[in-house]
Amino acid sequence: MMEVPRQNSTFKPIKPKLRPKPRTPAQTPESKYWSSFKNHQISNLISSITSLTFSPTPPHPFAATHSTSLTLFSPQTLSPSSTISSFPDVVSCASFRCDGLLIAASDLSGLIQVFDVKTRTPLRKLRSHTRPVRYVQYPVHDKLHLVSGGDDALVKYWDVAAETPIVDFRGHKDYVRSGDFSPVSHEMCVTGSYDHTVKLWDVRVTDSKWVMEVNHGKPVEDVVFLPSGGLVATAGGNSVKIWDLIGGGKMIYSMESHTKTVTSICVGRVRKESGEEGREYRVFSVGLDGYMKVFDYGRAKVTHSMRFPAPLMSIGFSPDCGVRVIGSSNGVMYVGKRKTKGDNVESGIKSFWSLGQEEEKRVMRPSYFRYFHRGQGEKPKEGDYMVVRPKKVKLAEHDKLLKKFRHKEALVSVLGSKNPENVLAVMEELVARRKLLKCVENLDNEELGLLLSFLQKYTTVPRYSGLLMGLTKKVLEMRVEVIRGSEALEDQIRNLKRSVDEEIRIQQSLQEIQGIISPLLRIAGRR
Amino acid sequence: MITGGKSYVSSPPAFSNDGKRLLVCTGNAVSIFSASTGLQIASLEGHTAAVTSVIVVPGSKILCYCWTASLDGTIRYWDFSVPELMKKVDVKLPVFSMVIPSLLGQPSLSNEKPTDLFAYLSIENTKEQNSVPKSLRGQIRKCNLTASRLIGGLILKETPQPEFIYVSSSGKFFGIRNKRKLHIWMVPAKDSGHLVAKKITLHHTKNLTVLAFHPTKRIVAAGDVTGRILVWRGFGYRLLSISDGLVSGRLVNKEEERPGVRGNDDAESCSTWHWHSVEVNVLSFSSDGAYLYSGGKEGVLVVWQLDTGKKKFLPRIGSPVLYYIDSPDPTLSSISCADNQIHILKMPSMEILKSISGIKLPNSLPGIYEGGGFAFDYSTGFVALRTENYSVQFYSLFDDCGIDEVQVCERNHQPADEITVLVTLVAISQDGSMMSTVEVKQPEEGIGGFVCLKFWALGSENKKFSLSTVIYEPHRDAGISSVAFHPTRHVAVTSSYGGDFKIWACNDEIQQKGRMIQNSGWACLAVGSYKKKPMTAATFSSDGSVLAVAAETVITLWDPKKNVLVAVIGETFSPIVTLSFAGKSDFLVSVSRGSKPQLSVWRMSKLSLCWSYKLHIEAVACTVDLLSFAVLAHLPESATRVESSEPKFHERDGVILVFNVMDPVPVATWSVRKAKGGGLAFLRGNPSSLEQNISDGNAPQEFVAYINGNHEYVLFDPYGNEANELSITRREGLVELEETGKFGYSSIYGELPELKLKRNQALSIQSAPSERPWETIFSGSSHNLPPLTRLCSAFLESLMEKRTAVVE
Repeated sequence: MMEVPRQNSTFKPIKPKLRPKPRTPAQTPESKYWSSFKNHQISNLISSITSLTFSPTPPHPFAATHSTSLTLFSPQTLSPSSTISSFPDVVSCASFRCDGLLIAASDLSGLIQVFDVKTRTPLRKLRSHTRPVRYVQYPVHDKLHLVSGGDDALVKYWDVAAETPIVDFRGHKDYVRSGDFSPVSHEMCVTGSYDHTVKLWDVRVTDSKWVMEVNHGKPVEDVVFLPSGGLVATAGGNSVKIWDLIGGGKMIYSMESHTKTVTSICVGRVRKESGEEGREYRVFSVGLDGYMKVFDYGRAKVTHSMRFPAPLMSIGFSPDCGVRVIGSSNGVMYVGKRKTKGDNVESGIKSFWSLGQEEEKRVMRPSYFRYFHRGQGEKPKEGDYMVVRPKKVKLAEHDKLLKKFRHKEALVSVLGSKNPENVLAVMEELVARRKLLKCVENLDNEELGLLLSFLQKYTTVPRYSGLLMGLTKKVLEMRVEVIRGSEALEDQIRNLKRSVDEEIRIQQSLQEIQGIISPLLRIAGRR
Repeated sequence: MITGGKSYVSSPPAFSNDGKRLLVCTGNAVSIFSASTGLQIASLEGHTAAVTSVIVVPGSKILCYCWTASLDGTIRYWDFSVPELMKKVDVKLPVFSMVIPSLLGQPSLSNEKPTDLFAYLSIENTKEQNSVPKSLRGQIRKCNLTASRLIGGLILKETPQPEFIYVSSSGKFFGIRNKRKLHIWMVPAKDSGHLVAKKITLHHTKNLTVLAFHPTKRIVAAGDVTGRILVWRGFGYRLLSISDGLVSGRLVNKEEERPGVRGNDDAESCSTWHWHSVEVNVLSFSSDGAYLYSGGKEGVLVVWQLDTGKKKFLPRIGSPVLYYIDSPDPTLSSISCADNQIHILKMPSMEILKSISGIKLPNSLPGIYEGGGFAFDYSTGFVALRTENYSVQFYSLFDDCGIDEVQVCERNHQPADEITVLVTLVAISQDGSMMSTVEVKQPEEGIGGFVCLKFWALGSENKKFSLSTVIYEPHRDAGISSVAFHPTRHVAVTSSYGGDFKIWACNDEIQQKGRMIQNSGWACLAVGSYKKKPMTAATFSSDGSVLAVAAETVITLWDPKKNVLVAVIGETFSPIVTLSFAGKSDFLVSVSRGSKPQLSVWRMSKLSLCWSYKLHIEAVACTVDLLSFAVLAHLPESATRVESSEPKFHERDGVILVFNVMDPVPVATWSVRKAKGGGLAFLRGNPSSLEQNISDGNAPQEFVAYINGNHEYVLFDPYGNEANELSITRREGLVELEETGKFGYSSIYGELPELKLKRNQALSIQSAPSERPWETIFSGSSHNLPPLTRLCSAFLESLMEKRTAVVE
């Protein structure tokens, strides 16, 4: 006779039904990384945020252009540190110099100004464009020149100190809206225009003929060099395309997961603690559909997608991967901030210094007097045999009442708890005890109201409807007199009727759709 | 031949005098269990029918004698320490209950010459046949055990059915219940052959179920079918008086007022307690008479304080309580439950120390879910049984012991409630690594009905099943008719009455196709249906290449890999309920029940019927390798009636037939009892457990296991001859009784030193006064404590300061 372990004779609390787990995990590690950015909102800006740019020097403050002003934000506090508002028209674009001391900004009057970031004084005014300027940028590692593009379809290469354009690149047939300098050379730049083309210019070539041209197929809203310098990403229409410039301007991939125009793209880096993934770059794109998408161009896959409540106009990503800023058309900035590694580094140092002390801590032995002073706070060591107090089963209010066979009180208590799954579990337990209808019969007016409002809310939910539809019918059958007698209950019945009607309408339209689809599926299946 | 699966709770057990052993009636034998470990240590075998009473002869701790009475009409006297039969008394009538009051009384003084030992028996009068419908079949008779004869012509009482006899622990009274009456006899002080015991009768308005006598006072308690407990105090002063002088004073009182006492009953008062909602099964007074234990169908043991009526409970025993037995050790007692478990309780705290559990007894299920409740593990010889408390018990047929219990449905089981949630199907894969269960929740007036399919996986380390996947309503709201596993792959099929079948696959199956899935579990792979007919049975062929699904009367054959209908064969007269492939052959065995039952064998290669019988088949079992199969068939009513005159066929209502698939003439037949609700299976011979017991060393390859409706089972070799079968005896799994551990007083305070009154004062006594026994000595219930005289000396001694002995 084997001894069978005695089954647990304690009261088992009722458990709601399990929900099906998705076949694939809800979040990939990467999407988990991107959603680990803590969201903040900066909403006191005036109008659409036309551009966002980060300073290349730490601590990487960023500038947002909106309306006729340019605001600098500190990345730590996310508060505006200074505002430059000496613009004659709406500011369209801004760019930091590579040392972060100067900032160039263009506006729709055609003027380009260079400011000292600290003092906010305009140092140079570059006036040559006759139409609004949409794009201005300092080349990488070049402190003396600027490139700009405007609605006059011209791309100008400036000598900043002399306030004169060195070269006028003619070639675009429509507004120039965007551009980017190559990260590997300060002599190559691309510009994107509304004539659907992206042109690559060499500033040393002064005959104003472009080096290369690719056709995006839609008015180009934004163009950006990828960090290798050989690839270019362009945004236009609702697609983002990756082009290989070294390979002769061949399109590598076209990402078309936005539903409306993509307004801005930028490149960001995934910061991982270790491993070869540490330097993986992603293309971020935002569009008028309010989505931010993270596109892994290495694997040609959208790895993360995020929804915002407004059309998005611009995006920026800090070079230290800590801050992601998105500007919307209604003047709200959505800032995602990752917990900086700084604290950890500091604590790491601390632990390094404290390592020596820890070594000194002696293993307690019964020969040592403090061994006998160990108190309740003493943590068990690995080899210690633990005498664990049996875990007490936590019983909810309704469980306690069910244990005492007070069925009606249990039902009322769980109805008050606002968790529909628990309510269903209690109802199922009552069905198994053959007590549910008796409970319904004994409910007083107020409790009946509670039950009816629950039914009104959840009867049409498919997961619960199997039990609740039958119960609703029974309740109405059994308590019709009481319901007729009370105004409030009648109101709830009316609401219930409305939601049921709504559900019936949905079902009908679904059936119609099914009727349309099923012949198609038949035909497809025959093949 | 191995038999087992006996009920442990058919009659009340008994503790041995030292309280360390429990004697349990198990079928034709008495099994002796150790109370401390819960393991079987010996068994008393010899009776040829069920043992109904076991009485341990009280005395000192080392005395190990007992009387047993059985339905085979014999009373035997055993020395159960050896164990050895000492004496046999043949009364020739089936004994349902036996009491020997004189054993319980004060031990007779040694100078008196030993009187004859008289037993009172409750027997069934088998001489009168059923000619008179309302004949009184039960009789209370008296038997002289010393002279080994029934005392002729003395019938104390005749009852419609044989009744259980209750005896008071003082041995003065014994009684029976008879419908709404209690009959109580007083045992004469000096019993002799024809001395008739005096009788009184107490009346009640409801049918009584149980009674109990107070150990010292004239109090009797009885339970009735409505759950009331009646306590009569001072019964029988008028009629059962010991001496007239003693009672004369009381006679006056009686005339005044007798609250609660009905009519002219001979009792002083009668009070009623009501806690149980349904009938009371158990009543027992504690040994000091301060408490009354009661139990019933609710599975709660209630302790009543006799004077105040205050209650204490031992809730959630999980099954109706059948018997409560006190042991000579005041800290131990046992309760027997209807789920074939005996719990040994530590007394004042009523904590369950050990459980002795046998095979789960069949539970009464609503009609459509009857039968088919067994799943056999071919290799290990386990059977999985559905139990009433929503779990599956694994019982080893070779070792006759429970292995494990898997709780299928996490729910509190209330034994008294109507059954609304039940496990309907259990299936185990051929390698025993996977299990699937189906549970059904029945609706309340059409709402809340629910079917749930669960897959379980065997843990590689602890060899226990753990839940892998839960599927709610796998076939919408339709019930599942069968579950079958693929013989080699991790694939299962369920067929439903709703008209479709589904093939389920474990995720590692899907993973092979190159998809990455993190969480493992079962998922639906394919759905099939045939003309929207209810699918009533499903099975895979032995190599897994063919899936046969019965669509009511026809059999559809599918390719499980492509989920394509291959062929349809049929048809039978009534819906098919079971399908199974015979071994590795291409023969398919189908069983239909109903008004036109049928056993058919189909040949797959020709897609045609080979042969069929009109038989009502309860279960089918197919061998794994050979071309044979066995069926358990009900004998037709006419056959039983004709053969019932033969004693051999008495009560035998079924036959096991072994067929070769090619040949409609059975290879072998056996007749069996209680075939209704039985199960049949082929099991692989377990060499490790049987080798040492087979003399010639060639263990049979396969056994046939037959479980009858009462869950008693037999394993035998279908091909071997009789001689070989008998040589395989039961495995010697008996464990020696551990003689360690003290109990009662000595367990708390250690052995008492033998007190010598004429002690030498100079003797130095080393007991220290710092022990302070008064802190613990009086804690606990009063009935727990040793007598005051023994306590007092130990207590006072501890208070006294010890003078250091002056020894020169």
